[in-house]
Amino acid sequence: MTTITGQLSAAPEHIARRPNLLRQMWMSRADYLYVLPAIVVMLVVIAYPIYYTIDLSFFKTPPGLQLRDKIFIGTENYSAILSSSVFWKVTLNTVIWTLASTLIAFVLGFGAALALHRDFAGRAILRAVLIIPWVISAVAASYIWKWIYHSDFGVLGAVMVQLGFLDRQPNFIDNVNSVLPSLIVVNIWREFPFAMIMLMAGLQTVPEQLLRAAKVDGASTWQRFWHVTFPHLRGVSTVTILLLAVANFNSFIIPWIMTGGGPSNASHIWITHIYELAFGRQRWGVAAAYSVLLFIIMMVLGYFYVRALSGNESKEHGA
Amino acid sequence: MSKYPLGRALVRGAFVSALAVSMMSTTVLGQSVDLSQWSPEYVRSIAGTETYNTAEQCGAVTPLDYEGKLTFWYQGVFEGDPDLLRQYYKDFFEAFRATYPNIDLQEQALTYNDLLDKFRTALLGNAGPMVVRLQILGGVEFASKGYLQELSPEDVGWKTEDFWPGAMKSVMWEGKAYGVPTNNETMAFIWNADIFERAGLDPERPPATWDEVVEYSKTIHDKLGIAGYGLVARKNAGNTPYRFMPQLWAYGGGVFDEADPNPTYGEVRLDSPESIRALQASYDMYVRDQSVPVSALTNQQADNQPLFLGGQVAMMISHPSDYNVMLDLQAKATGADKETAQTVIDNMRYGLIPTGPDGRRAVVFGGSNIHILNPEYVEGGEVDEAAAKAMVCFWTSPEWSLKMAYAGSNPGNLNGFKTEWMKERLENIKFLDVTTSMLPYGVPFPTLPETPEIMNIIIPDMLQNALTGAMTVEEAAADAAQKVRDVTDGGGL
Repeated sequence: MTTITGQLSAAPEHIARRPNLLRQMWMSRADYLYVLPAIVVMLVVIAYPIYYTIDLSFFKTPPGLQLRDKIFIGTENYSAILSSSVFWKVTLNTVIWTLASTLIAFVLGFGAALALHRDFAGRAILRAVLIIPWVISAVAASYIWKWIYHSDFGVLGAVMVQLGFLDRQPNFIDNVNSVLPSLIVVNIWREFPFAMIMLMAGLQTVPEQLLRAAKVDGASTWQRFWHVTFPHLRGVSTVTILLLAVANFNSFIIPWIMTGGGPSNASHIWITHIYELAFGRQRWGVAAAYSVLLFIIMMVLGYFYVRALSGNESKEHGA
Repeated sequence: MSKYPLGRALVRGAFVSALAVSMMSTTVLGQSVDLSQWSPEYVRSIAGTETYNTAEQCGAVTPLDYEGKLTFWYQGVFEGDPDLLRQYYKDFFEAFRATYPNIDLQEQALTYNDLLDKFRTALLGNAGPMVVRLQILGGVEFASKGYLQELSPEDVGWKTEDFWPGAMKSVMWEGKAYGVPTNNETMAFIWNADIFERAGLDPERPPATWDEVVEYSKTIHDKLGIAGYGLVARKNAGNTPYRFMPQLWAYGGGVFDEADPNPTYGEVRLDSPESIRALQASYDMYVRDQSVPVSALTNQQADNQPLFLGGQVAMMISHPSDYNVMLDLQAKATGADKETAQTVIDNMRYGLIPTGPDGRRAVVFGGSNIHILNPEYVEGGEVDEAAAKAMVCFWTSPEWSLKMAYAGSNPGNLNGFKTEWMKERLENIKFLDVTTSMLPYGVPFPTLPETPEIMNIIIPDMLQNALTGAMTVEEAAADAAQKVRDVTDGGGL
């Protein structure tokens, strides 16, 4: 009974809100006009490509036909993708790539941020040095690492042999088992400075008086970190992890330049595979279907990102 | 007693004759260069016998005072090319602008591996250039889709007979021509005589067959601990099919019947016993003997060049221009590296590409073609026909088709062989005789829209699947054959 009453009493409120909303929009029409150009641009450069990609994903695009002569095949591209062994291999690679790169880069960045938060001689220089991998061009870094890893004459392998760790030059990127971990190392090297910067900024917001108070109360270093510092970094950590995850899902340069997705698809991740399907093999329809699936995943991540941001804001305002 | 069995010699003779006939086709009688006499001696005998005036000849196609605008994309020089070629490219555009001062030329150079992708993308947005110079395997794909205008040598003042018949095949789609060949080349076999000697091999005798390449590679690796043969198996790189297809054809295999005199491309042969044998040879070198660079799966030829110069690779397949590349690289080396490089250059030898077990010798008939686009796919929706033809005429002239192919290729216009610059080239470019001798063995890539995908993705995938152990040799060949069937049927992932 209570429920029914509640619903009945809620309905008029809901109906009554609609005119208010429209009236409010009308009263704020000038504001909408101000943002209209931006909305139009967004529709053209984001909404239309999304619509077109979804539309294209239902068509077959053989190499001998122009795109305008594409053939409607319904959801065949999706079923072909999901039944393809390459898809599952590439998906597994993508999950490993994203999770490993994101988590390890975050942990290393966290450690570096904590270390550099303390005041010591040479801190500024060290901070600048650690940022270098992030500011260096990804293309240049990929070529450099390709030679560092070179399976015949790579510097890294040569040093390992010289130091007696190995008998012969290790095979980093020409082996199906070691290529993905090797590329992940390069990606982590590129990304951990980003996590470090984000978390260093977060550390600035931890109230010094709280840390001092905890110390006066006899809290150990670990207890101060766990009960004071870490809770303050939860918001920035969530955002950092989400941004890293999104960037890693969309990674292209490192695997494409270093291995082209090989050997034997062992380092193909979604983006490189989509690129190859579209631009190397002209399977525009299949590539579009892949992109739609990736888009859905990115939207889910985006939802959590927005939620994390909103949570931070409400905490700041609510506190 | 004869050194070689009579049957083998007959098969070899028949195959070479068939290939030569295929290359020369029915136009041989009308050609200004007699391809039936093709030999290094014949090439030397015609070099420097004619003079041509490019401005005058192209002026008859497009008046020299013509005012217009032209956008042009081309496969330009890249890191693996010699400095000499860079200079010729620079000279070409200066000469064009001097000859046609009123044509506003906007040219853009792209590397071999980027050009097709970028061109395809531009066409999707109707933002292509007016004229494009594409690698030989690209033209049919775009002609079949209607992107290119019909264009024959006659449209720009030349005769079809002035071009290699095999090259003309590469611009034909459904009986019509859609481009003009700019340059055509065949690669050769390169070896380091010093390494051969140190490994106990005859330094002046290259391997005669692909089976011998496998043996030599193992011998060199076992004795000296360096790579024998410079295998290349990178994906999405043109270098891979250019090096594997000669091996595949020599063993009697093929993607289709493209090595036959009159190919129909009806039957997929990648999983034939002959093709499997060719793939097995690569497997034997990479996996069984470990006698080739481990980095072969990520290497391109540009990566092999410094390895060869450093004395770490004994044999490879490449252009005559690799000799000039070695000279350029050596000039940049310092200290002991410079001496090592000089030793390699002094011991660099060129020979014919090895044959298969029954004497088949084959090489990719490579090169590039120049095309004019249909206006609807061009940025702005218009093609300046006169300016476009001026560019096509200029590049395919005897003078510039020779100069632009000075170090790494051969003139698409056969009259280029008669120019004074060809005579000069024969004196300056070492080993040119060997690569021109390989021309009659050239096999054009299949003239199908699917060829770029087959050559740049399916063939390297097959190699990588076998060499990494992801599949057995037989499985990799069967997988690749099925992919080709799927692609040509319009399906497949």
